[in-house]
Amino acid sequence: MLDPYYLQQLTIGLSLGMIYALMAIGFTLIFGVLNVVNFAHGEIYTIGAFAGLLMIATFGPPLLAVLLVVMAVGALAGFGLERLAFKPFRRFSDEASMKSRAMREATLMSSLAMSIVARESLELIFGSQFQSVDLSYLINKQIQLGPVTIVNGDLIIFAVALVMFLGLQWLLKYSTIGLSIRAVSNNPLGARYCGINTDRTIILTFVIGSVMGALAGILVGLYYGAIYPSMGFTPGIKAFVAMVMGGLSSIPGAVISAMILGITESMATSVVSSVWADMVAYAFLLITLVFFPQGLFGARRERV
Amino acid sequence: MTALLELDGLTRHFGGLTAVDEVTTHVGQGELVGLIGPNGAGKTTLFNLISGFTRPSSGAVRFKGEEITGLPPHQVAHRGMSRTFQNLRVFPNMTVFDNISVGALGALGVGAFQSVIGGRKRSHEISERSWEMLERVGLNEQANDLAANLSYGKRKYLEIARALAMEPDLLILDEPAAGMNHSETAELSQFITELNSEGLTIMLVEHDMSLVMGICERVVVLASGRKIADDTPVEVRQNQAVLDAYLGGDDE
Repeated sequence: MLDPYYLQQLTIGLSLGMIYALMAIGFTLIFGVLNVVNFAHGEIYTIGAFAGLLMIATFGPPLLAVLLVVMAVGALAGFGLERLAFKPFRRFSDEASMKSRAMREATLMSSLAMSIVARESLELIFGSQFQSVDLSYLINKQIQLGPVTIVNGDLIIFAVALVMFLGLQWLLKYSTIGLSIRAVSNNPLGARYCGINTDRTIILTFVIGSVMGALAGILVGLYYGAIYPSMGFTPGIKAFVAMVMGGLSSIPGAVISAMILGITESMATSVVSSVWADMVAYAFLLITLVFFPQGLFGARRERV
Repeated sequence: MTALLELDGLTRHFGGLTAVDEVTTHVGQGELVGLIGPNGAGKTTLFNLISGFTRPSSGAVRFKGEEITGLPPHQVAHRGMSRTFQNLRVFPNMTVFDNISVGALGALGVGAFQSVIGGRKRSHEISERSWEMLERVGLNEQANDLAANLSYGKRKYLEIARALAMEPDLLILDEPAAGMNHSETAELSQFITELNSEGLTIMLVEHDMSLVMGICERVVVLASGRKIADDTPVEVRQNQAVLDAYLGGDDE
């Protein structure tokens, strides 16, 4: 019989993993298509949280309406991000420059710059401290399930993560947008000659990934009751680690890795101080890079 | 015979080098035209200029009477021109069926946003078209295999099927026989002739002289970026300028 304490920790770990997964899905989608790391994904998450916060403070609509507005803001932010930080570096469309290191590193820097600008602007406007959120919106109502306690936010986050994950898999496999996204990720030049508008496909990928990022931001903000300008940093790192563990461009791999990461972290807190819990992610990153450079699940699977 | 594709003084400089120099020619509706020339003659650059990948320094490309000079490749493709590549550009991590579907999708020329709405009927059209092309090139048994797992020769046919799925008015084949053995080349040339006899206009770049001379009605010869001959295979074979270009010439 498992000790209820560990059962509780496992539950916490699962919901933590779910949060990381929520973040990692969008992150991995963008990497899979463009082969570039979008360092501003964490700030999209923060912007989503702040957009929700402003909605709640000014209009106080039902939660669902808040989420819809946040998604719209996320879409807009993703669009802007692509135009400002990525598009300018896609001037040359021949294969050599599309795959060049210079190209990848330039967008690495420009997305990092965008993330800093976004974070600092939010700090200038709102200050760096936690924002107060209307308590009735928090999704932390306790629910007793036998020996373990969960909150309604766990269920909401689980449901949203599941819908996103399955929805995205469906979109990529069966829809025409998914077909063009996969084509662009496989061979951008070939896709262009097949009549696919690669530019628009890339924008759409950013929009989809950013909608997911923004939604994750508001949900986690309401889950912890903690919305502040640098909130996107840690989950951003965790999503990155999950992506690397999952083999860089596999969304299912990233989701499973995010769950492993969440559970391990929460289990680790029963052994070491919670301050050290973040080390788990870095340890995983190191182990993956040294021993499993192809990701934990080995051979390359279909990209995206 | 009306001209489907017209090239008018097409020129492209790369720095001080003139890769394509004042090339003027045309491809008529239903023709099967070959483009040959020694290495570095500018064949690939000319193809890139026609299909929108490279912008010409001067000159014009007209397709179905409409000027398409400088249009991006996907828009050229929407107008009914599709091509294959010397170094294959199939989508390696997608299934054979999906590879062809991308061609069928691209041909519809729908924007990504339109494709979100009302995609059902369209998806149906795409998959029907794709199956048709799969059967056409005899890849239906491998429909669900990843393209990366196909043999080289089959990947070539996959690429042609993908181009055909776009329902082109003009099909441009860039060295389709490269890397093929004798019997494969023979099979391919029969397939190309068959497509042409169904009314498809085809332009073919090829190193394999026997293939070009054997099936093309007209051959355009490039050397150092210039058009040096534009005639039937029989005439081209006896053309002194062509012989010089291929044998190294005596002016160097």
